[in-house]
Parts: sequence; structure tokens; C-alpha cells
Amino acid sequence: MSAPTLREDLVELQVDSVTLAFGGLRALDDVSFTVEPGTVHALIGPNGAGKSSCFNVISGVYRATSGRVRFGDTELTGQRPHRLAKLGIGRAFQNTALSPHSTVLDNVMLGRHALTTGGFLSCGLRLPWTVRQERRHTERAVEICEFLGLGKVLHAPVAALSYGAAKRTDVARALAIEPTLLLLDEPAAGMNAVETAEMAATIRDLRDALGISILLVEHDMNLVMGIADRVTVLDFGKRIADGTPSEVQADPEVVKAYLGSGSEDA
Amino acid sequence: METTTLIPTGPPATRPRRSPARLVRAAAWIALAVLLAALPLYIDTAWLKAGQYMMIGAVGAIGLTLLTGQAGQLSLAHAFFLLVGATAYTVLAGPTDEERVIGLGLDPGLALMGAVLISALVGLAFAPVAGRLRGIYLGVASLSLVFLGLYFGQSLDSLTGGTSTGRTPATFELFGFPFSNGGPEIEVLGVPIRQAERIWYLFLVLTAIAFVLARGAVRGRVGRSWRAVRDNEAAATAMGVGVARAKAGAFAVSSAFAGLAGVMTVLWFDILKPDESEYGTYGINVSIAFLAMVIIGGLGSVPGAVVGALIVNGLPQALTLFSGDLGWFGETGGGGLTPILVSSFIYGAAIVVVVLFEPGGLAAIGRRLTGLFRARPREITREETS
Repeated sequence: MSAPTLREDLVELQVDSVTLAFGGLRALDDVSFTVEPGTVHALIGPNGAGKSSCFNVISGVYRATSGRVRFGDTELTGQRPHRLAKLGIGRAFQNTALSPHSTVLDNVMLGRHALTTGGFLSCGLRLPWTVRQERRHTERAVEICEFLGLGKVLHAPVAALSYGAAKRTDVARALAIEPTLLLLDEPAAGMNAVETAEMAATIRDLRDALGISILLVEHDMNLVMGIADRVTVLDFGKRIADGTPSEVQADPEVVKAYLGSGSEDA
Repeated sequence: METTTLIPTGPPATRPRRSPARLVRAAAWIALAVLLAALPLYIDTAWLKAGQYMMIGAVGAIGLTLLTGQAGQLSLAHAFFLLVGATAYTVLAGPTDEERVIGLGLDPGLALMGAVLISALVGLAFAPVAGRLRGIYLGVASLSLVFLGLYFGQSLDSLTGGTSTGRTPATFELFGFPFSNGGPEIEVLGVPIRQAERIWYLFLVLTAIAFVLARGAVRGRVGRSWRAVRDNEAAATAMGVGVARAKAGAFAVSSAFAGLAGVMTVLWFDILKPDESEYGTYGINVSIAFLAMVIIGGLGSVPGAVVGALIVNGLPQALTLFSGDLGWFGETGGGGLTPILVSSFIYGAAIVVVVLFEPGGLAAIGRRLTGLFRARPREITREETS
């Protein structure tokens, strides 16, 4: 069930025995998994399982206590977080971290930051090359917005958007960095059933049209089981299962973690 | 550099808008430029001086609106950077042979640019502090710079001339043309173009440059990175913006604008005189006045900052000039209503009104007004015309 258009520039993301400790608390305990190129990989688990911590280690917000994260040949552990965009790792946020008063297009154009150059003087003077660069990248940003169904609201301030449209703007911004790996933090959080289904379709479209790898953290089991090629399950900071959606669903450990178990020995 | 376009390409995306609105806007700008250029031929020196003072405010306020409005860093240090710019210009352009004070004898044009650069560097030096604090804490920390300026202004009298006498700045010259009453006699339509008129044109050009630079930056890559840092640092980082660098850049740029306003201040007064107390030309009151300008104008709006400066710096000047005719102002120091006091009340009230009823300031009101003349809201025109 791998992506139809597999790109050559894709590399795998390897999370290799990552441990993250806050004092005595182990948020992540020796977690390993690999996001294969061109797949949708889901990271799931009950509340407090360490999904977000894992995400933050990958995106450089937290520094792993031990273990490492590699993206192809590049070591991500220890990289300064803002370098990740340049490496082709895009991130969408759980709480749609957008500029509310800026337009959709302006927000999405922020994603072009690492792909463009120009400081205060060259922007301020509107040197011909900055104007051309701006026009070229705006065209691309508009394409991305239209792909995500935001063509009608390009010039609307984000604050005026529906929740679903704001979420899609956030994804559009992450796509604007031209990622080969897209990190989605709870893309369906706070969405109703219709919006969730739309988001699932969007994610599938992204994988099919762009052929990029997607790592998503998600609560919504229907969404995950519908679109993921592979699922990693965390519980109390430990990896308890890793496999295809059907394998994971059948795993007794996973059932126990989600539904609880009456007996202590299981 | 572009990766392959895998997202299907839609119809040609952004189109140059050759709409009538664009032509109207261009015509309005040209009309404004002609009006401002012609003003010295029709108004007297006192009013020209008042206009120059508003332009000083405009340059400084543009710098502050970039920092506080766009990059989200509250600064009360603006007056300090005015002092830095003023001192730097005076020292750089000052005569080398004076006993009491230091001068480097540079060409005034170069000295002006040097002063702007030095102000930017001093702003950059404060960036490590600015990068670690936010909101009101940064405001208070930056306020300390004003007191530092007060102290250094008084103690480094070989640079500033000291509080008792101050020092006279070099006459501004550009390619040998002095912006004073000296040099070639020029007359336009029977009006002699002397110091006040020349300085008017100099300030007009400087203000225009400041305005154009700031507007371009706000609309481009730099402005976007500032707004991103202001609204969400984590998101800015994920999009490849180095947060510390963006903040430091905003502080340096803002300080450069303040430094330029400082150079203009010293040319306007024709003397550099450090303050004796925290209330003066480079004191807290000035920092707060700049903050008032950008709040009244609408935080982050460059044209708003200019209009705010017209109100905050213009009112006391205009009221003073009218006071002779009106006759209902008391004498300064007489306990009555002075023009400065009255204008303080007015702009104080303006801030309260803005904060309560239109947090977007005059810029938001302006947008609403221009919106009335636009046929349809912008967000749907694109789709409907394509």
C-alpha cells in the first residue's frame, strides 16, 4: 500500500532508541521506529503515552536524553529547530499556530521562508530580484492553497475562517516549505465527523499527489486506521506495538492499553 | 532551486492588478508628493518647522511600529536611540579642532549614515536582552536604556557637550550644498529657499525613504518573519525562521530608524543638548509619545505611524502657533493651560478611545473607509473574476 509516485529524493526517518527523561520521569523510554519513504505513518497511544514528546524530539523542540533521530544521512538530534525546514521537514500544529490577522496567503507564504532570501534592505528597497522571487513563490503558494481548497479565501484573514479551513491553512503552510516529510500533530483534533473525513481525504490526496512521507500523531482511531500504512503504538513512553493497522488492531497489548484490562498479569 | 511541481498547477495564479483603484492610489500619492513639495512656497517658517517636527516623529514612529507592531516587542527605549543617533551624528560630523569636544570631521552625509549604522549596532547590542524578555517585562527593561542615556548624556560631555551648553552640530551638507542660509541663493516663484525650506526638503526625502523601506519590508519576507515571531515562535521556528535572529534584526532596524530621527532632531534644534532630567528631548516622555503615535495609528501600520506622528507631534506645534490668535492659553509655567498640556490631554484621550473602541487604531478605520469604496470584498473578487 505504498504511494504510487515514489520520489527519489525521499529518505527514511529513523527514530533510534530515543529516551527522553524529565528528572525521574521517563516520557519516552527506548522508542524506535522508522518512517519509510512515501508512507503515511501514524503514532498513536492513549493520553500521556508520549506521542507529543516524541513529536517534539523529532522536530527539535526537546532534546533527547539518549538515542538519536536520523533523516536519511542527516542527524536531527542536536540540530537547531529552525534548520529542519531547510532539510525538508514540514510541520503542522495541533492548535493551528497561525497569524490570525494576516491573510491565508500571507500565512502560507511564511512557509517559503527557508526557500527564499532577502533581508530588510533588499525587501525594503524592493530590488528587482526580490520582487521576482516574491511573485514566483506567491504563485506556488496560491497553487498549494488551491490544492487544499483554500482558493476562495486567499485574501481573507485567518481569524475569519472556519476551524476546518484554518486547519487546512496550517497544513498548506507546512506544505509550502516543499517537505519530503510532513509532520501532522493531531490533524483532526477538535473536528466534527464531516471535517475529519475531509481531512482524511486530504491526507490521502497529499500522499498520492506529492508522494511524500507523512508522520501523524492522532487520537481519532477511524482516521488512523483508514489512512495509515503503518502504525506505531506508544503507552507510558514505551513502544508496545508497530505494524500495519490490522496487525496493530489485533494486538492484545494495544487492546489492553486502550480498553484497560481487569487482570494484572495479562 | 524549486522542487518539481507535483501539486497540479491551477490557472495562472497572481495577476498584476491594473484596476482603476490602483491608478487612483498612484494619483493620490503623486498629488500628495506635489503638495508636500510645494508647501514651503506657501507657508511661513514657523509652520515649516512644525512640519519638520512631525516628520521627525514619523520616522521614529515608523521604526517603533515595525518593532512593537510587527515584531511584537514592546520598547520604551526609543528616545535613547534618538540620543544615540543625535550624538553619533554630531561627533562624526563635528570639527576636529575643538578643545572641549571630540569631532571626527566626516562629511555630514556620511556622518548621517554612520549615525544610523551606529544606532542599529547599539540596538543589536541590546538584542540578547530583548530576545529573552517579552511584553511588559521587555518594556521595563528597555526603559532602563533611557536612564542610561540620561547618565551618559551628562557624563560624557566630550561627546555630547554636556547639559549646560550642549554643542552645535555641523551644518548638514550634501555634495557641498549646505542646508543652511549659506551657499547659493535659490529662489522659486519669488520665495527664497533658505534653511527652513532646505531642511524641509531634506526631511521630506528622509521620511519618504523611511516610509518606502518600512512598507517594502512589512510586505516582504522580513515582515512575514517578524509577524510569525510575534504570533507564534514555535510555528515561526518550524517554518525555518531563526527566532533570535529575527528579533535582533527587528530591534536593530527599529533603532536605526530612531537614530535617524535623532539626527533629524539635532538638525531641527540646531543644537545637541542632553537632558538634565528624565523628562526632555530624549526622555521618557519622548518614548511614550512614540508609543502613543503607533497605538493611535494602529500597531504595525506604517501609514498609521505617520498619521499618529502628525497628531502627537503636530498638535502641540499647531496649538502653539494658533495660541496667539486664540488667546485662551496661559503662559508656560504660569499654571494655566499650555498648548503642550492641552495636546497631551488630547492624545492621552485619543489612546483611551483607540484602546476601547478600535484597537486597530486609525489604520483599521482607514481600511474600513477604503473598503466602502471597493466594489466587493477582496477575498471573493479573485475567484469571481478568474
